[in-house]
Amino acid sequence: MFDAIDPRSPTPLYEQIAARIRLAVASEELQPGDPLPSVRQLAAIVRVNPATVAQAYRDLETEGFVSKRHGAGTFVKEVPVKGKSEEMEQQARELVSSLMSDAARRGISAGLLRQALSDELCNGTEK
Amino acid sequence: MGPKNSAIELKNVRYRAGPSFEIRDLTLNVLYGSIYGFLGPNGSGKTTTIRLFTGMHQATSGEITVLGHSIPKKAPNAMARIGYVPETPHIYKALTVAESIRYHASFFPTWDADWAAELLDRMALDSDQRVGRLSKGETGKLIILQALAQKPDLLVLDEPTDGLDPVVRRDVLTAVLDYVSVAGATVFISSHLVHELERICDWVGVMDHGDLVAELPMQSFKNGIKRIRVTDPPDAPGDTPFVLLSRASTNGLSSGETWIVRGWQAPMTQYFDGVGATIREVVDLDLEEGFVELLRSTRPNPTRG
Repeated sequence: MFDAIDPRSPTPLYEQIAARIRLAVASEELQPGDPLPSVRQLAAIVRVNPATVAQAYRDLETEGFVSKRHGAGTFVKEVPVKGKSEEMEQQARELVSSLMSDAARRGISAGLLRQALSDELCNGTEK
Repeated sequence: MGPKNSAIELKNVRYRAGPSFEIRDLTLNVLYGSIYGFLGPNGSGKTTTIRLFTGMHQATSGEITVLGHSIPKKAPNAMARIGYVPETPHIYKALTVAESIRYHASFFPTWDADWAAELLDRMALDSDQRVGRLSKGETGKLIILQALAQKPDLLVLDEPTDGLDPVVRRDVLTAVLDYVSVAGATVFISSHLVHELERICDWVGVMDHGDLVAELPMQSFKNGIKRIRVTDPPDAPGDTPFVLLSRASTNGLSSGETWIVRGWQAPMTQYFDGVGATIREVVDLDLEEGFVELLRSTRPNPTRG
């Protein structure tokens, strides 16, 4: 689940971890009541500073995606459908925005990008 | 920031190692609970710094405090709480793994025998094997095991994974992270393997030629250094809101210049409008690129590290 975590990315590691878990909740890969790994376990899995995992969990708790139960661990919360779709939209926007800056770097115009994107999307739905 | 928040504090330390190498004025702070990555090319003074704050070298002047103890006067008090993995491990080759562990344990009242046994198992070391017959990777694991099972408040690792294969490197780092999860210890880790540190460290210190050329939180270090492509750059940059580390013309591919800047923040694009230049792109650098650019800019002549 955390294969895409990239320490070289300018996005802080705690934000990458939190975003991956938010996506899992929004796409229902994780269900309400599911336990998250402990900070110790996840730090070992992703091989990052435990403080980084703790920061990600704190942010997720503040955002209402998980709740901490004292002594029992951290659990996925029931997130309203609206919250889930907003999260998916947000992550889609981020994908597109990183695609756009990549295109700009290669000198590909917005028009060309839009054309290519809609072509590929059409192809994709036909498959 | 004082010794109360700092696990390691060096203040205006001076030390002369020989005719060609000198630490003139070294000030360094490692906060309690942080994982501090100590970067620098070979020969930049990383090991010397470690030997200074562990009391093995004596500074000519300046102040050193480690875990609240003044160094070198109270070095034994500090060392009792430090798990130290030196660059070249001192081990007795004639002992078996079990004997080596027992010998090491005898120096540390805080020794956790149960945990040592668990680590031995997890690292798949054979306790009857002679230390002299261990592979380099197995020796590395034994040394880390010994440092961890003494339950230190501070782990000092000098190139702990240098020369180890990727599998062993991963085992060693995982064991260290696991200890930090449980014990909340401070870790000071010196390495020239930059990518390894990028994953785990929350602070970075960069040494070059006996100077600490940067010390800041990892995220600030990574976010602050950018490569910027500029067209119509001014001849004289004047008052820049950032630190201009270097500028060079873009290698003939397109007109303009590539600037490497430090302390970058998004609103600073205004500076370029003010001087009539245009920003083509702002590129994020990873830790290794940032490190290389930083060293390049602090050196008068390009040298290989």
